[in-house]
Amino acid sequence: MINVQNLSKVFNKDGVEVEVLKDINLTIEKGEFVSIMAPSGMGKSTFLNILGCLDKPSSGSYTLDGSPVQNMEDDELSQVRNSKLGYVFQSFHLLPRMTAWENVILPLIYSDDDSDMKEKAVEVLNSVGLGDRINHLPRELSGGQQQRVAIARALINNPRIIFADEPTGNLDSSSSAEVMDIFRTLHAQGRTLVVVTHDPDVGSQADRMIEMKDGRISSDRPTRSLSEENAK
Amino acid sequence: MRIIRMASQALQAMKDNKVRSFLMMLGVIIGVATLTIITSSVMGARSQVMSRVERFGLDQIMVMAGAGRKPGVPQPTPTTLKVEDANAVLSEISNVKDVTPQINRRDIPIKYQNKNSYAVIVATNPNWSEIWNTQAENGRFLNESEVARLSRVAVIGQTLVNDLFEGEDPVGKQINVANNPFEIIGVLEKKGSSPTGLDLDSRLIIPLTTGMKRVFNQDYITNIKIVVNDTSRMGDTVNDVKMLLRERHNLAPGVEDDFTIVTPTLVMALASKVASTFSIFLILVSLVSLVVGAVVIANIMFISVNERKSEIGIRRAVGATKKDVLAQFLIESVTVSALGGLIGAVLGVITLNLLSTFSKMQSGAILMPIIIAITCAIIVGLLAGIQPARKASNLDPIEALK
Ligand SMILES: Nc1ncnc2c1ncn2[C@@H]1O[C@H](COP(=O)(O)OP(=O)(O)OP(=O)(O)O)[C@@H](O)[C@H]1O
Ligand SMILES: [Mg+2]
Repeated sequence: MINVQNLSKVFNKDGVEVEVLKDINLTIEKGEFVSIMAPSGMGKSTFLNILGCLDKPSSGSYTLDGSPVQNMEDDELSQVRNSKLGYVFQSFHLLPRMTAWENVILPLIYSDDDSDMKEKAVEVLNSVGLGDRINHLPRELSGGQQQRVAIARALINNPRIIFADEPTGNLDSSSSAEVMDIFRTLHAQGRTLVVVTHDPDVGSQADRMIEMKDGRISSDRPTRSLSEENAK
Repeated sequence: MRIIRMASQALQAMKDNKVRSFLMMLGVIIGVATLTIITSSVMGARSQVMSRVERFGLDQIMVMAGAGRKPGVPQPTPTTLKVEDANAVLSEISNVKDVTPQINRRDIPIKYQNKNSYAVIVATNPNWSEIWNTQAENGRFLNESEVARLSRVAVIGQTLVNDLFEGEDPVGKQINVANNPFEIIGVLEKKGSSPTGLDLDSRLIIPLTTGMKRVFNQDYITNIKIVVNDTSRMGDTVNDVKMLLRERHNLAPGVEDDFTIVTPTLVMALASKVASTFSIFLILVSLVSLVVGAVVIANIMFISVNERKSEIGIRRAVGATKKDVLAQFLIESVTVSALGGLIGAVLGVITLNLLSTFSKMQSGAILMPIIIAITCAIIVGLLAGIQPARKASNLDPIEALK
């Protein structure tokens, strides 16, 4: 599903070149639940943005679902983001003047799907437990509820891959647990999930945990939860 | 449909920010309101000019006694223009088809039984009716034998009929004109007021000979209307008339004409001059406010793009292409501007109606000016919106999401 080879990313900061990602090789199979962990400033978001087709690598190749991403035009990338990928951000990134359902339909606006958008939005909001909040504005919702609206938005086009950048970073522990519950359900539905976090409790809920250090992958192993499950 | 969904997103952004949208509209509202007033009044003025020129006659020249005269402006009449001048013009200049000399006198008291009024007396020949395109609709116009016999007969306008004869048929009645008894032989068709404000229906037409010998006792006339055969030779003919009259009046070279020749082109120029000074001012006002409107829209759009970076980033992340973002912001600026145009056009039309009730300003068709105004507003919206929209569409999604 995801294949990255010799990928590097260089930022030019005040004339000084900083290599944030160095020669990364990584393969993520369809249906995997992967967490990426590293201390702050180590390039997690940069890496996730590249995987999410929001940013481009400085060098190396990235193949998504069999297609080479580095050769795609901007419009094609938009199309991929719209139909194949879903995003969940640390700060939710909801449009403040739009209600829950209006936020959720955003991806539908840019798709070629002409079905009833509100009906679909209500269905997805129901599935994340917000069926009674469809007409609420973001400021009328708790952090956990806002993040669930954001997840509903990520799901509305039924993408096969979900990228989440510190999805629980702004949430208390019970809201975090709700979000991780939803992620496990999505995983159980066969979707591929890539979650960036620096919280080991969150990271260990994935099947596979990748740790990064100095722009390289320093460790890549199955988590205990997976090995325990396998042992059973 | 994607574009309809996009447009509804743009409209929602407009609704969500009513104050911002209104501020964006303000310049366009003012610009379009003035533009509507101008185009409508200019079109009104133009059709007024055209009808005036048509009334004057495109194949006609008027010679007025006295130097540097303007149509409709009364002045003491010099005594140099004679009936013989009119006859000479007709017989000696080949391109002249017909002439009608006349004497005009304003504010002549007239009387029927115990009722009084004031008339503009026109003493002239029977062909006046045809040349000035004014028929007698009740009774008849003057004839040649009345001119030959210096008859005391008159054809009167409808204002005089109303003033003197309440419901009575005036034809055949005797009235008193400057202490002379006259018999009414006809009533002129209604003509309204002239562009200079003279009530054309207060005219009283009598034979030229009667006017000269019996009423005014004068051998000079006020003006001569000349009809030409070939309008393409109008310029030459005007020149011939001028030379002939100078010769007949014994004017030495260098001496100013003692008459004024008015041509259709001159009438047109005089009439449009008033309209154009007025409209140049308003065109400036509306241009300035449209430009200001465009600058305001562009600036607010730039601010809005900066404020909405995160929105743009989100939209790009969930699949909006650069074109989608460009379209959204352009639709927003064009819609705001067009709406401002609509409001401006409505305000303009209301103002026009107020102006035409309170003053004599003429307004032309309404539809065309509104179409012009709204088209201008849309162009303003496009021009003002294109740069901000381009900026929005070129934002890096990552940067926009930070
Ligand atoms: N656009 C940019 N220009 C220059 N430097 C950048 C840019 N984006 C990121 N960086 C640098 O790259 C490094 C990695 O940033 P990144 O946001 O990927 O880290 P992170 O691991 O996600 O950190 P955090 O846990 O704080 O979110 C940082 O040192 C950052 O300053
Ligand atoms: Mg980060």
